[in-house]
Amino acid sequence: MITPLYAQSLLREGAVMAAVAVALIGLPWFLTAIGGYSELATPIVLWGIFALGFDILIGFTGLLSFGHAAFWGLGSYAAGLMLLRVTDGFIPAVLVGTLVGAVASLLLGYLTLRRRGIYFSILTLAFAEMFYYAALSPLQQWTGGDNGLTGIPPADLCGIAMKGEAIYYVIAVTAFIGIYVARRIMRSPYGLILRAIKSNETRVASTGIDTRRYKLMAFVISGVYAGLAGSLSAVYQTYVPTDALHWTTSGQVVMMAVIGGVGTLFGPMIGAGIVLYLANVLSGVTAQWLLIQGLIFMGFVIFLPGGVVDAGRRLALLLSRRPAPTDKRAAGTVSVHPAQAE
Amino acid sequence: MNLANLSLQLLTGLQIGAIYVMIALGLTLIFGTLGVVNFAHGALFMIGAYLGYAISEATGHWVAFIVVPVLLFVIGIAIERVLIRFFYNRPAVDQILVTFGLALVLQELMRWIFGGTNLPYGTPDWAIVPVDIGIGYYPPWRLVIVGVTIAVVGALYLFLRFTRFGLVVRAGMRDPEMLGYLGIDVPKRFTFVFGLGALLAGIAGVIGGPITGVTPDIGMAVLVPSFLVVVIGGMGSLPGAVLSGLLLGEAVSLSVLIYPPSTQIIIYLVAAVVLLWRPRGLLGARGVME
Amino acid sequence: MALLEVRNVSKHFAGLRALDDVSLSIAPGTIHAIIGPNGAGKSTLLNVLTGLIVPDTGSVVFDGQSLLGLPAYDINQRGIARVFQTPEIFPDMSLVENVAIAAVAARDGSYRANFFQHPRALQPVREKAESILADIGLGAYLNTEARHLSRGDKRRLELAVCLAHQPRLLLLDEPTAGMSHHETHSTAELLRRLSRNGMTKVIIEHDMDVVFSLSDRITVLHQGRIIADGPPDEIRGNPTVQEAYLGGAHL
Repeated sequence: MITPLYAQSLLREGAVMAAVAVALIGLPWFLTAIGGYSELATPIVLWGIFALGFDILIGFTGLLSFGHAAFWGLGSYAAGLMLLRVTDGFIPAVLVGTLVGAVASLLLGYLTLRRRGIYFSILTLAFAEMFYYAALSPLQQWTGGDNGLTGIPPADLCGIAMKGEAIYYVIAVTAFIGIYVARRIMRSPYGLILRAIKSNETRVASTGIDTRRYKLMAFVISGVYAGLAGSLSAVYQTYVPTDALHWTTSGQVVMMAVIGGVGTLFGPMIGAGIVLYLANVLSGVTAQWLLIQGLIFMGFVIFLPGGVVDAGRRLALLLSRRPAPTDKRAAGTVSVHPAQAE
Repeated sequence: MNLANLSLQLLTGLQIGAIYVMIALGLTLIFGTLGVVNFAHGALFMIGAYLGYAISEATGHWVAFIVVPVLLFVIGIAIERVLIRFFYNRPAVDQILVTFGLALVLQELMRWIFGGTNLPYGTPDWAIVPVDIGIGYYPPWRLVIVGVTIAVVGALYLFLRFTRFGLVVRAGMRDPEMLGYLGIDVPKRFTFVFGLGALLAGIAGVIGGPITGVTPDIGMAVLVPSFLVVVIGGMGSLPGAVLSGLLLGEAVSLSVLIYPPSTQIIIYLVAAVVLLWRPRGLLGARGVME
Repeated sequence: MALLEVRNVSKHFAGLRALDDVSLSIAPGTIHAIIGPNGAGKSTLLNVLTGLIVPDTGSVVFDGQSLLGLPAYDINQRGIARVFQTPEIFPDMSLVENVAIAAVAARDGSYRANFFQHPRALQPVREKAESILADIGLGAYLNTEARHLSRGDKRRLELAVCLAHQPRLLLLDEPTAGMSHHETHSTAELLRRLSRNGMTKVIIEHDMDVVFSLSDRITVLHQGRIIADGPPDEIRGNPTVQEAYLGGAHL
């Protein structure tokens, strides 16, 4: 039965996803227009998928992981190896890569979620580093060691070689689906509980929720997105660098999420676009691109922790000449007994 | 494998552990007192190594050994005053993010100034030739590192145990709020402790640099094991840091003898085992950030 | 048969005897108050009952089943809800969302992998949350963020969150702390109204007016031990109790 409320939300959802589709289709053109190049769209959307899943973990569940390169990297290697040694089918390669990301995140999540807060973050960093070192040395016959996995053949999807424009559209479709799924998750009862965990974990536990399992599942969901993005990256680049598992990769997705704006799903994707665009533009001008990125990142953490999305929101509020947020707050302090208002 | 070889390897384990311990001590001090997890601590080690190289090239090693820790102390104070102190009331996630950003910035700064290649930071001339220590020939500088670490740990212990300031630090590690109520100037104490932590990292960097190498990524490379040392030993526990530092150092060293391909990843395996068996760490206090 | 049976529970904290051989029985459908001077161990007892602290010795049996060693969420799912001393709510979420979370937990249990469930399915949950909030007097602020509420209203919100579970036993840790006379009165009224449908309540309280007007039975804790246990009239005239308070409360 379609109630008016339901119809309303359907329309809204439709509008949002339509806007997403337009953005994805128009991205290559938009990039050329602002001084980039259209092929940059592919890595942007790839990292966007990575960052999207990451936001579910950091923005909604409140867990900061410094180890997600593990899932991106393992997904990359798995997909690459599939293409090199098993079949040149696009779907099996990406499927296997995503699965590997899922399993790895289940194991790593189980281990690291035994601790909370700061400990958790440290442990994610540590165990991801383990995978990096394992790929460098003990497992180098599989991973190509220091050189990475080279010479990956182009993948085949129904007779079409996955490169250039073709692969961009496949990746864009994947991103579209990924965004829809992420929004569904966050609007489900599951998403409500994840947000509650971020808001007040003690209260959630005392309200009958097994927080451990919810956190683990959020971790795995973000690992699936990371593995998926990593697999697609291997297909796109036809090469997997060892850096895919390095802490700098984990750091990149963290910076993208913060710069874009955590907790918004779209923010981190925008962050990916900004970071990659700037990297592209600035690395032609200076060798110190990473230094600048680090400073920008710190700037956001210090002054604009809500990221670009939040800055945009505030700007919009300012421009629409509504009362400043502080006034709004005071007016909004409600109480049955106004004298008691804090 | 004979007993002499084993002993030498155990000795190396002490040296590896010594560097972890010195960094872990600084980390634990800062976290225990200020409640801040300093992701930039490895970068401080790295700066110590770079400065050690630069100064020793100019004026010889001994000057470097004295000047670098002092410089790092000053740098630490500057970082606390300019950045860290604005984050005491912000959520832990923000603290981690800003110190991580700082680590990245410092690392790239060093790369910009010194380039990315491994700088030839050597030990003092008298320490180049291996000496006969009875059970075999051994690089003397490794012994120096162990000796300095023991001295530093001892000095830290005496300082915390027997000085008034040390008492305040220990009390602050248990109950910072109370300290404020007692009228003790908490902000100044915080600044000093951060500087002290940086100083420890500086000592580690200036004497450890010849062994670990001097590159921009050396900071994070020593930070991760040191983090594990703190997590395994129990956050906020100084004896725990020493104990687990030794444990991990020996694990790495022995893995060279037993199964060389595992050397790089052995510490993670040990950490995983400890985590599964004793989530609170070897000597960790209950309820401290579980 | 008692709803909650506590027997010989003791808990030490590094030499401090927080609870010393505490035994009490909570009868179903009653309001049972636990009073005592500060530091008597009242909050510790509540923590034991909700699984946040494991006692050194003793047993806690709820409706015939032992609660010892069970995680806090399991205890809550079995029918025990708790209102904390400082209101624990979700500050950055709206009032409806606050209660909806509890309603979802009540509906789905401690874990359900329903991440694809359509938002439509949350409609009955929202309606239930709205009616509970209206019932408790917060109906006008459904979509306000919880952090904007006054302390008293935050406590009401917390109560609403607990009620979403329809708990059989409600534990309240100083529900009227920091409230004005007016607010205290309306809170007491609310509690009285809730007990009409047979919900059992355990209240830690310092306000003696509330204690004596509401409770069916009173247990007095002092330095971790029970020094008196009985109906209000018995406690009122009890010299040991008066001594323990030493002129603090006006009985």
